[in-house]
Amino acid sequence: MREMVRRFLRQKFGNLGVVLALVAIALLAMIFFPSQESGGPAGLAVLVLAAGSISKDASSGALQMILARPIRRSEYLFGRYLGILSAYAVFLLFTLLLVVTLPRLFSLLFDQPGPHPPLTSLLRAAGAAWLSGTLVAATLLFFSTFLPGFGDVLAFILVQFSFGIGGALGGRFPAVAKAATIARENLMPDVAWSQVFRGEGLLGEATGRFVLALTVFLIAATLVFSRREFSYGQD
Amino acid sequence: MIVVEAVSKTYGRFGRKTRALDGVSLEVRRGETLGLIGPNGAGKTTLLSCLLGFLRPESGSITVDGRAPDDLSVRARTGYLPERLGFDRDSTGAAFLAHHWRLSGGDPDRAKEETRAAAERAGLAPEALRKKLRTYSRGMLQRAGVAQAMIANPDLLFLDEPASGTDPLGVAIVRDRILEAKGRGATIVLNSHQLAEVEKVCDRVVFIDRGRLTRTEALRGEAATRRKATIRVPAGRAAAAVAALSASGIEAAASSDSDVRLASGEEEGLSRAVKALVLADIPVFQARSDADLEGLFLEKDDK
Repeated sequence: MREMVRRFLRQKFGNLGVVLALVAIALLAMIFFPSQESGGPAGLAVLVLAAGSISKDASSGALQMILARPIRRSEYLFGRYLGILSAYAVFLLFTLLLVVTLPRLFSLLFDQPGPHPPLTSLLRAAGAAWLSGTLVAATLLFFSTFLPGFGDVLAFILVQFSFGIGGALGGRFPAVAKAATIARENLMPDVAWSQVFRGEGLLGEATGRFVLALTVFLIAATLVFSRREFSYGQD
Repeated sequence: MIVVEAVSKTYGRFGRKTRALDGVSLEVRRGETLGLIGPNGAGKTTLLSCLLGFLRPESGSITVDGRAPDDLSVRARTGYLPERLGFDRDSTGAAFLAHHWRLSGGDPDRAKEETRAAAERAGLAPEALRKKLRTYSRGMLQRAGVAQAMIANPDLLFLDEPASGTDPLGVAIVRDRILEAKGRGATIVLNSHQLAEVEKVCDRVVFIDRGRLTRTEALRGEAATRRKATIRVPAGRAAAAVAALSASGIEAAASSDSDVRLASGEEEGLSRAVKALVLADIPVFQARSDADLEGLFLEKDDK
């Protein structure tokens, strides 16, 4: 599995386009740190990192070359997942570095006091963003086991969009709104990570739903991927 | 031994089904090199995908030494070269090969030397290993693919168009690597449209058409079936050679102004023909008896 993580990191950080996109997101995300629980735009980095994580390997034929080796499909799958989470952790640390150093640099250059949020609150915000990212990554990974290309990102956006539309229809179709709320609360639950870090609600309902949703997506991804057939090319 | 029993595979659903394999049965003996021959869309790649456990047949069974094709102990002995090479284009050649060395269960401490040795055997220069795969030419990518398939000296090799896109030197390197693997007793399944290369390395070929196994031909040993015998003489002497052979009671025809093809491909007949030409004072530059794969491929009738 370590070999799979290593390959994932090499694939992502060896690609100039991905690196530039991550730097741009980090610059955007530093504005919101540490005010947003989920890291705000930092969440976009998970989409960039996880997009097509399995489907692109499958369509290129790289997956077949790997699966011809003595590794289990689950090793490959969880290697990709841990690769996404490791890369996201690197990204968050880079963003934190920007948040800490850039305001100080501006203070020095322009002789004006800048915002200096305490390091502990920054670390908590990064931890919250990373934990939120674990579920987003699991969802994308699940979609990537059976959707081609960047269908995983499109499916994720569609799911989020349908939750939003469902909620907006509350006035005219209360049943639809209720279903959308239930689905969102169970599939994409919001957890107040700052409270969890203070020891409040660690075993609460939201945390429980989060862990359950994460488990369901990872098990579903494993089941779909282990049964999937792979072919390519023409005979 | 690879045993394929009555394997069928269908693609598509809801009335738009295509039968890619239809009751295919065959055996590949340990140490044998088997060629898969057939037109595009015949089912060869589907059969290879089933042999590797990437596709599951609807009916029938496939075993490799009594185990399922996707059994990890089988995979530990497998080398696979796909027709379409899916590389991590941002990896260097060295990183790519080292990755496959480690995946195959190789000692990570030996990755560097094994990578270099595998690349060298496949005709990749050491400096090429430092470059990213996106900078490789088609031929270099194919050599990297061959090095990847052969890196841990697997004793089961599945090769899908291994010499595709390579120059004549690359074709010769691929052939040498296959013969080397064969020499150490590897079982090889080769899918290739390059019939001349198939003739040189395979012990046996199976013809597949529209998902069905239509014919099996042995190319080596006493069981070897149809052959063609050709003799090369000096340019402009083919007609004289045909006349000399005819006078000796050997049926032959000129296929160019320097090549004569005998009606019978038997080696004994070839020997008699060479003797007849020498007695007629016609120099013989080359005399060979090969499996007539092209002729068999072009025949439409099922046998």
